[in-house]
Amino acid sequence: MNAYRLARGVRLQRKPDGASVLLVPEGIVELNASAASALALLDGTRDAPAIARILGESYEADPSELASDVRALLDDFAGRGFVTT
Amino acid sequence: MSVAAPQSLLCELTYRCNLQCPYCYNPLDLGNPREELDLTTWLRVVDEAAALGILQFGLSGGEPTLRRSDLIAIVQRATERGGYTNLITQGTFLDAEYLDALLAAGLAHVQISIQAPQQELAFAIAGTDVHERKLAALRLVASRDVALTLNCVLHRLNHDALPEVIAFAEREGIRRLELANVQFYGWAYANRGALIPTREQVARAADVVAAARERLRGRMDITYVLPDYFEELPKPCMHGWAQVALTVTPDGRILPCPAAAAITTLSFPNVREWSLGEAWTDSDAFVAYRGTGWMPEPCRSCDFRERDFGGCRCQAFLLTGNAGATDPACAKSPDHHLVVALRDGDPSAVPLVPRRALATQG
Repeated sequence: MNAYRLARGVRLQRKPDGASVLLVPEGIVELNASAASALALLDGTRDAPAIARILGESYEADPSELASDVRALLDDFAGRGFVTT
Repeated sequence: MSVAAPQSLLCELTYRCNLQCPYCYNPLDLGNPREELDLTTWLRVVDEAAALGILQFGLSGGEPTLRRSDLIAIVQRATERGGYTNLITQGTFLDAEYLDALLAAGLAHVQISIQAPQQELAFAIAGTDVHERKLAALRLVASRDVALTLNCVLHRLNHDALPEVIAFAEREGIRRLELANVQFYGWAYANRGALIPTREQVARAADVVAAARERLRGRMDITYVLPDYFEELPKPCMHGWAQVALTVTPDGRILPCPAAAAITTLSFPNVREWSLGEAWTDSDAFVAYRGTGWMPEPCRSCDFRERDFGGCRCQAFLLTGNAGATDPACAKSPDHHLVVALRDGDPSAVPLVPRRALATQG
């Protein structure tokens, strides 16, 4: 099982306008609402399917589509060094 | 016309430093340490920045850790205001107790610079034998829960050691490596003739970096800052004048970029008289080169004007005396021959001037 967490020095933050951003070394990554919700669930114990399952409880979405979206997000951010297993 | 708010603030807490690197971008006039802003003023600056919506705070210098307890208080205030703090340091004053105090205050990212991967070369460049202390600081930071970037500024004296810099980073388990070709401002501009790499060095480095990125994919993120005078197009400096970032100097001047104090034809606002927001929106210096209205030909009708923004205003001023000229780094600039002459110059004819070591007790 690949349990995910934010990489060292990476912070998920809500701005005063309500939008969420990922703060990374010398950079700001704008997030859409679903990406922010997924990243908020990274706690070092949940893997991608677990995160997709929890999101499925609050989002009207096809479960397999949601699972592949979460997987794609985590792969992308892992490749950029923002999340880690 | 409404102006988009800035996103980042670089706080240059002091120009003091115990190293004498000839590639330093600090100004030749390092000022008087007695005129450094006090802590109360810095905290107000941080508050104003946060109120503008700034999320990224850089803490730099000089060597910012020389403002020892002040730095901790500034990190804490920026963190409380929702900011992300980046410490840009040469690492020689980072011990465990001090680092942990910074981390407890909320420090998120530490960038430590080395001059070279080997002690002898690092000593020759820094003018001070601190390589072992830097190594200890690097390992200390790597052992803590904080982002770490290793930085090495590349120039003629250490360009050939690039493969060893990468191997060093790999040995130390570095995840983020920044290889930055020297940019010619301040002391580095004074030393440009001696520091500019050769064509062969630049060509070799491109191959070395490409191979390392491929080999270390997923293990190390390598940023490579291209050399200033070798591209045919100028760099999109700061994403345009006064577009996304602000710098405050040790004595309180508010600049659109850390090198801008070199432009003596502009008068920059100071935090002692201006709020950051007013300076950003209304001050003559910030308005002067914002957007595209100031552009001369060949920029004005150039298809790239929204991509490179006419290049760097500081570089234009340093090379031509006119901050409103097309950046001579651009092949279309009527002043491009100035860059070509430098690129093709004889470095052995140029003496290297070490940065003045400024007293570290302020």
